[in-house]
Amino acid sequence: MSALIDSLAAEARLPADDHAQVRRGARKALLQYGFPDMKTEAWKYTSLRVLEKREFSAEKPAPSDRPVLPFEAVVLHFDNGILATDGLDLPEGVSLVPQTGDQLAVADYGDRSGAFAWLNLARFEQAWHLRIEGRLERPLVIATGTAEDFQGDVHPRLFIELAAGAQAEVVEVQQDRGQGLVNIVQDITLGPGAILRHLVSRRVAQSAWIQRSAVTLARDADYRFHVLDRGGRLTRHDLNATLVGAGANAEIDGTVLVNDRQHVDFHTAIDHQVGHTNSRESFRILADGSGVGVFNGRIHIARGADDSHSDLNTANLLLSESARINAKPELEIYAEEVTASHGATIGQLDDTALFYMRSRGIPASEAAALLKQGFAAAPLENIQPEPIRTWLLGELKNMM
Amino acid sequence: MLSIQNLKVAVNGKEILQGLDLNVGPGELHAIMGPNGSGKSTLGYALAGRDGYEITGGSVEFEGQDLAELEPEERAAAGLFLAFQYPVEIPGVNNAYFLRAALNAQRKARGEEPIDSMNFLKTVRESLKDLKMDEALLKRAVNEGFSGGEKKRNEIVQMAVLQPKLAILDETDSGLDIDALKLVAEGINRLRDDKRSFVVITHYQRLLDYLTPDRVHVLSEGRIVESGGQELSKRLESEGYAFLEESPS
Repeated sequence: MSALIDSLAAEARLPADDHAQVRRGARKALLQYGFPDMKTEAWKYTSLRVLEKREFSAEKPAPSDRPVLPFEAVVLHFDNGILATDGLDLPEGVSLVPQTGDQLAVADYGDRSGAFAWLNLARFEQAWHLRIEGRLERPLVIATGTAEDFQGDVHPRLFIELAAGAQAEVVEVQQDRGQGLVNIVQDITLGPGAILRHLVSRRVAQSAWIQRSAVTLARDADYRFHVLDRGGRLTRHDLNATLVGAGANAEIDGTVLVNDRQHVDFHTAIDHQVGHTNSRESFRILADGSGVGVFNGRIHIARGADDSHSDLNTANLLLSESARINAKPELEIYAEEVTASHGATIGQLDDTALFYMRSRGIPASEAAALLKQGFAAAPLENIQPEPIRTWLLGELKNMM
Repeated sequence: MLSIQNLKVAVNGKEILQGLDLNVGPGELHAIMGPNGSGKSTLGYALAGRDGYEITGGSVEFEGQDLAELEPEERAAAGLFLAFQYPVEIPGVNNAYFLRAALNAQRKARGEEPIDSMNFLKTVRESLKDLKMDEALLKRAVNEGFSGGEKKRNEIVQMAVLQPKLAILDETDSGLDIDALKLVAEGINRLRDDKRSFVVITHYQRLLDYLTPDRVHVLSEGRIVESGGQELSKRLESEGYAFLEESPS
């Protein structure tokens, strides 16, 4: 693992800018804790071996593709992880400025399970602060793509702030074609009454894709997260939602497809810190070939966070003998008068349903595809607005 | 149409059908009655080609084709339809999409063009109306959240849209109230003509009151033990299956 630290966190690789002190501090934390290994509880199903074997190149890759989308949107294109600001035309109510030293200085990612976030803080190329006020008419697309010759490591850092009462759809379109490391850190805050729909469509080739999204919800804020992850060589996404104001509501819906030699690990944590807060989560993994899917969904209801409600459900499909799924809901409840339910299932395609469809004339392979698609689509069915739902369901269908 | 000779079918190594003979001609409706465990549903599943229903002896010919050689979807395309005793829920696949996929898959297998959307919708809507089913069901997942009666009626809708040559109805009457039973019977009668055949598996006489079967057979311990006209079903209704033991055929 020290080789990984040597290659990624060498002192010489820290950018020389105004944030040198923060960067050095982050590097120190990383050196102290090290990267997680499979003895680290939160990483026990995900090995970094793929990453350790990599040599990261500083060569500038070819430009990555801008996504072609069937809906009107404001697009921020993070080309090989770097935002090109030329010609960027932001709508009214949206501002984009670099994060300040003060904002960066308070970052704390704990021990080795936060190693990649420390690495990001040591190495980020850009750290943007995106602020949204009022109601955004068009979705804001954050397109992060890499080109085929991308063999480097990139550490995008983004703080998204929704002012009180703001409403926005933020759609992340993530398309990797390379074989490097993309290491994203996002902090998202929702002011009182703000509504954010946060959607992620991700497809990763050979890169390691590490993402940390930390969301804080003030009073009456509403956060809806949807992800369609279509697999990758090594993907790890940590999504943490912290409900700090009464009336806050967080909903997470995810569909993950993994196939041959792919590995996708989703860790979500919803923390009800105060009472009268709600959360709901529904997560599905379909694992085929020798794919590995990991889902760990943690719900924490703090002492005193009474009258909170939470529902967590994960249903998973194993589609081959050599695929693996590790799905685990975790509930920790310290409050009173709460309702918290959870369920986890792992199964295979329903033989009876397959036979039923075949008995109506649908060939076996088509019947299986329809069943898989139907299963995978469920967490995406309540996406709003409709054009985005249709687009994501179309992307899903193309995978079947 | 359908010619079954000395059919033996095993499930999990246990022989359930033990030499069944049945001949159904074009345009005929045959009823199969029999006590629980006599092999009625096994017959339906074996004809439709369900995995695990192994034909261990005898033969089944459908319009001269050996059914045992065909996959379930090939049997459907050849014109065979099984209305399930327990219609299956298919989460995430909507009813209209499912029906159209089924119809077009059959048409493709027969070398026909796909049906155009307007004609398809028209046919489905008419069938739904005939069965007094809400059109909103088309947008719902197949059988998901349907009541027991809706599921059974949905089988008849599927049959009406798919227009099979031979329909096997496995206890489609069970769990239906009298109004729904009439609707189902009318759905079946609407499709009857001098070519299309039916095998109606049932426990009770009451459905047959509306269907006037050409032949009634009694299935017991995996064999047809008695055959006759509609009077046989009436006798079963009044006397039960006890007489089978007294007068084995």
